[in-house]
Amino acid sequence: MNDAQTPDVPARFLRLPSVAERKLGPDFTAPVRLDPRVLDQMQDTIRELTVKYSENLKVQVGSLFSFIEPTAAGDAEARNQLYSTAHEIRGLAGTFGYPTVGRFAHSLCAYLENYKSVVSTVMRFHVEAMYDALQGRGADDILASDTLASLDRLIALSHDGERSAG
Amino acid sequence: MTDRELFARLKILIVDDSAEMRNVLAALLESMGVGAILSAASGEKGLELFCSEAPDLIITDGSMRPMDGYELTRRVRNGECPNGNGDCHDRDVPVLMISGHVGPEMVRLARDNGVTDYIGKPIMAATLYERVLAAVSKPIHIVETKAYRGPSPRRRLVPHMSIDPLSE
Repeated sequence: MNDAQTPDVPARFLRLPSVAERKLGPDFTAPVRLDPRVLDQMQDTIRELTVKYSENLKVQVGSLFSFIEPTAAGDAEARNQLYSTAHEIRGLAGTFGYPTVGRFAHSLCAYLENYKSVVSTVMRFHVEAMYDALQGRGADDILASDTLASLDRLIALSHDGERSAG
Repeated sequence: MTDRELFARLKILIVDDSAEMRNVLAALLESMGVGAILSAASGEKGLELFCSEAPDLIITDGSMRPMDGYELTRRVRNGECPNGNGDCHDRDVPVLMISGHVGPEMVRLARDNGVTDYIGKPIMAATLYERVLAAVSKPIHIVETKAYRGPSPRRRLVPHMSIDPLSE
């Protein structure tokens, strides 16, 4: 049968062996639970990295302050630096025991993603909230949620009537 | 066969533009006992390494410039090797995406580009371990049409969160 005679099949469904089956043979059976020894080893690794990360996080949060005014003035490079630093903090702070700092970084990233024109007060409040959380102030979950709600209200007030870019 | 023995036979490619995230992921995978860990700082370099090294699993960030993790995944699924010889190793390779964007729009974009599984940031040890294990130990179900080959684009892809999704 040539191509012209082949019926038009809309989709083919394939079941391929897993990576583990291919490497270890068809008798491989997936484990039913995580190995606690592997998890312990991973937690040890995180503990080892935490000291260095904590120092680095302080530097990162401190550096954010310097990008606020240039970003508000429309400096694209400063905005990129602000976003990429906040993005890094969002990605890793929670892993190393600073989930609240990560939540504020996430909110700052979302603000920068959603608005073309950004206001220094909004950015400063975010960075100050991160700084306070890093010092152990306002790191409580409920307080952090209240702060995030306040930041949302501040964004709404600062951009009253403006549509977000996102 | 223990998880560690399985992990020792794996070659995993990390693609992330953050050096810090690459280092943390590599350290965590190493502590899991993963045999070979490759890393790339961009989607382009990731695609090159995928074609030259044939990893068993790709762990990629979503947001990168100029080629992001979504495009990287689509190119892997399409067998688009940068060397242009069309001889890509395993275009059905499992792809885990780690992203801070856990909203439905980005998760849908990941699914439509062929991402196998989606992990929300921040990444936690147990979540990484669990999703890597699932990605390499579950059979790979592929849908193939004229325009697409990869995990079913109709499936429900839910981000695995180590903590509650953040309010946006």
